[in-house]
Amino acid sequence: MTRIPLRPLARILSARARGENPDTIERENIRLRQKQTHDRARARAQGRLLLLGVAFTMAFTSIGARMGMMAATMPTEPRNASSGAQIEAQRADLTDRNGRILATNILTHSLYAQPKDMVDPARVAHELVGIFPDLDEKQLLARFTDGRSFLWIKKKLSPEQMQQVHDIGDPGLLFGPREMRLYPNGRLAAHVLGGTSFGAEGVNSAEVIGTAGIEKALDARLRDPANAGKPVALSLDLTVQATVQEVLEGGMKMMQAKGAAAVLLDIRTGEVLSLVSLPDFDPNDRPQPMVKGDPADSPLFNRAVQGVYELGSTFKIFAAAQALDLGLVNPETMIDADAPMIWGKFKIKEFENHNYGPLLSVRNMIVKSSNVGAARLALMIGGVRQQAFLKSLGFFDPTPVELIEAPYAKPLVPSRWPDITTITTAYGHGISASPMHLAAAYATIANGGTLVRPTLLKSDVVENGPRIISPKTSQEAVAMLRGVVTEGTASLGDVPGYSVAGKTGTADKPKKGGGYYHDKVVNTFACTFPSTNPKYVLILTLDEPMEIVGSQVRRTAGWTAVPVAAEVIRRVAPLLGLRPEVETASATEVTLASN
Amino acid sequence: MSFLEYQVKTVPTGIRKLFYLNWGLVLVLIAVASMGFLMLYSIAGGSMEPWAEPQIKRFAVGLLVMLVIAFIPIWFIRNMAGVAYGLSMLLLLAVEFFGQVGKGAQRWLEVGPIVIQPSELMKVALVMMLAAYYDWLDPKKVSRPLWVLLPVLLIVSPTVLVLMQPNLGTSLMLLMGGAAVMFAAGVSFWYFAVVIGLGVGAVAGVFMTRGTPWQFLHDYQYTRIDTFLDPTSDPLGAGYNIIQAQIALGSGGWSGKGFMQGTQSRLNFLPEKHTDFIFTTLAEEFGFVGAFSLLLLYGLIIFFCFAAALQNKDRFSQLLLIGIGCTFFFYLAVNLSMVMGMAPVVGVPLPFLSYGGSATLVLMLAFGAVQSAIVHRPR
Repeated sequence: MTRIPLRPLARILSARARGENPDTIERENIRLRQKQTHDRARARAQGRLLLLGVAFTMAFTSIGARMGMMAATMPTEPRNASSGAQIEAQRADLTDRNGRILATNILTHSLYAQPKDMVDPARVAHELVGIFPDLDEKQLLARFTDGRSFLWIKKKLSPEQMQQVHDIGDPGLLFGPREMRLYPNGRLAAHVLGGTSFGAEGVNSAEVIGTAGIEKALDARLRDPANAGKPVALSLDLTVQATVQEVLEGGMKMMQAKGAAAVLLDIRTGEVLSLVSLPDFDPNDRPQPMVKGDPADSPLFNRAVQGVYELGSTFKIFAAAQALDLGLVNPETMIDADAPMIWGKFKIKEFENHNYGPLLSVRNMIVKSSNVGAARLALMIGGVRQQAFLKSLGFFDPTPVELIEAPYAKPLVPSRWPDITTITTAYGHGISASPMHLAAAYATIANGGTLVRPTLLKSDVVENGPRIISPKTSQEAVAMLRGVVTEGTASLGDVPGYSVAGKTGTADKPKKGGGYYHDKVVNTFACTFPSTNPKYVLILTLDEPMEIVGSQVRRTAGWTAVPVAAEVIRRVAPLLGLRPEVETASATEVTLASN
Repeated sequence: MSFLEYQVKTVPTGIRKLFYLNWGLVLVLIAVASMGFLMLYSIAGGSMEPWAEPQIKRFAVGLLVMLVIAFIPIWFIRNMAGVAYGLSMLLLLAVEFFGQVGKGAQRWLEVGPIVIQPSELMKVALVMMLAAYYDWLDPKKVSRPLWVLLPVLLIVSPTVLVLMQPNLGTSLMLLMGGAAVMFAAGVSFWYFAVVIGLGVGAVAGVFMTRGTPWQFLHDYQYTRIDTFLDPTSDPLGAGYNIIQAQIALGSGGWSGKGFMQGTQSRLNFLPEKHTDFIFTTLAEEFGFVGAFSLLLLYGLIIFFCFAAALQNKDRFSQLLLIGIGCTFFFYLAVNLSMVMGMAPVVGVPLPFLSYGGSATLVLMLAFGAVQSAIVHRPR
């Protein structure tokens, strides 16, 4: 560091020469130097001050600019509901084929509590019990005061209940918006719709997930936000469904059956127009599954799809149709129906020990429902071809209908197929299938011979499946079925104008340990109408029905399922747009009224 | 240097000092305070009670205090700087042990009928102390590490005490006010660069330790930072203050809704509407014009301080003027940015507008010192 010499010699010398005290000069020097450094410090401070000034001016400018910006904009008030609103209408609606609502969503509220914010838990518990009698006051109070910070009280509230809870006025009671599934038609089509429940539940929303039926089968499609607002149209016709349900309920009561099911199928498209299973339930308040007893007796059980039964004589038409199609017989070919038929250690008998004799035409075999005749036909066809035919009709696989229950309802088919199986299968014993299977198979027989895949979704395109039997065979088979109604076991099924053609089936119910009950039967009537140009197939089954006339108890389908089916067709056919055709009575049937 | 170095002969004496006061500054102060009275009157629904009247009385007392202090020679004030600083420190320590708790913080000290907030006093005392220190220190030594360490300690010790109360806003004010004096005194830029670097590191550290048991800040302080980053994330909770304030500001528009016509503040949407958030009422009722006028008046006050600092040859006076000007600026800048959503919500009142005794009185004390520096400047 260069230092300024403390005593610049020249100045001291000159001072001495002038006779002044050099010390004052030194003091003066020090003062000057100090002044210099202070001036420098001041200058520096002023520089820094200017920097500060610039910074502050910039800060002022930005604050002023911000003021201007804020004055020029109009901020929006934050909204409470914004977070909850986004879940609305997420699950797609379900409609019938004409767009009428089967399932939709409504906004409701859940009630939850934050006990830490509660002013007076005892009062709240008391008043809540007044609103919801199912709650327990003591238990509620215990839960309010055990230190938890959150608890659900109710998952769904009606607007009235919500207002009442609101009027309690406690800050610890809070409402959360949520959507809930609503089935405005109540029990109607309950088994098709199935039901929903809440999945992940939050305070501001709750996930609605399908738990059964089509709600579960199509869950992904219904929940996909991309499909929000696009309803799914089902093949059901609400009016037809209501009619079938009403008639079936009445029929079930009259026939004292413990259950019933009906399937109405459009045979060109495979669309299910109506599917009823009784007893039923309200999907808005889906009951819990039964803990004990046979699940097949539960109202949740879909008899039309889940229930697999031995469908009895309704199967005879398959043997006849296949034999016709293979060219083995024609409708008038005589077959041996001499009963009883002995096959090894088995004895094949007719109903009520009839004997239709050694000469029975194929047509009459169907009309009179001869077990032996059907067995002979089946033996002519052979077990391998019989299996292949039944498989092609879909009897070996679950039905493809869009219900979550359908894939689990696999028909029960014998694992081995000896001749006796061929024989019993021909008249519908030893093989079990659901009414839906039967409907699809009958539709295939009646629609000209192409395979029908039943569906619950509306589809306008008629897609012909692979051919199973020839159109000619189809015509002949329907004609035989018509004979069953006009002169055979299903004479009660004749509905003037709609020329019903069908086949009855009565199967004894199997006992748990083996063997069959003789007083417990499943009655089935499988029919198509109008037989002149088949359009629809109706399968109707009654579980353990009986009709009592005087002292006589009748349990055959002809007396139970058939009249109910006839009533269904009488009511439904006009709804389906069918015009009654007046059949000209043949001359032989005209009886003179005179003399 | 002692007061003997002042050229006392050129300094006005007695009642003549009145003519040397900066009356412009006095007028601006009165104007700003009057805006405050108007707002408090409006917020109370057109009533002097409960806020406007006490505030007017306090301001009147403050004005008197300012004039009295203006007559005290600046060298006496300089010599008393150490005493003021020491006293403030003692009070801060006292508040730590005997203070009143309000809103989760220990800030007030009750001495007889007077409730004082020592942290407010400390703001002025610290500036005085630092100015006196740099006046005493040989300017050549200003940037030497040991001579930097001493003022840093002078700043940090009260800051830590205030932070423990806890009062984030005031501790920030202390830190920034002290740093401003050091900056003006000519401490090397490098020190500031290092401190800013460390500060950034500390902020990172504060966030890294968040959620751990040894986190530095209170949860509410973290929440304030979070809400600052995105006030809309919690519109009904922590972000409520800011959003409602911004609505008030926005709804004021350019010319405002008119005196006593503000709805946001009148309908009790706004918390702290008469203290930290009083600016929103002003902006709502007088709009951009009113808000900007206030900003201009504030700017004028700071301009007066800085202009006086430029004219003043005395180092203590100069540093004191800069320090007080800066502290005043930090007050309003932090408050305004916080209300307008540009900075975290820390409890800093708006000078002369917010309702509150300590802040107003201390500010008037400070401006008394400013006037004294102006009156007694070496000519």
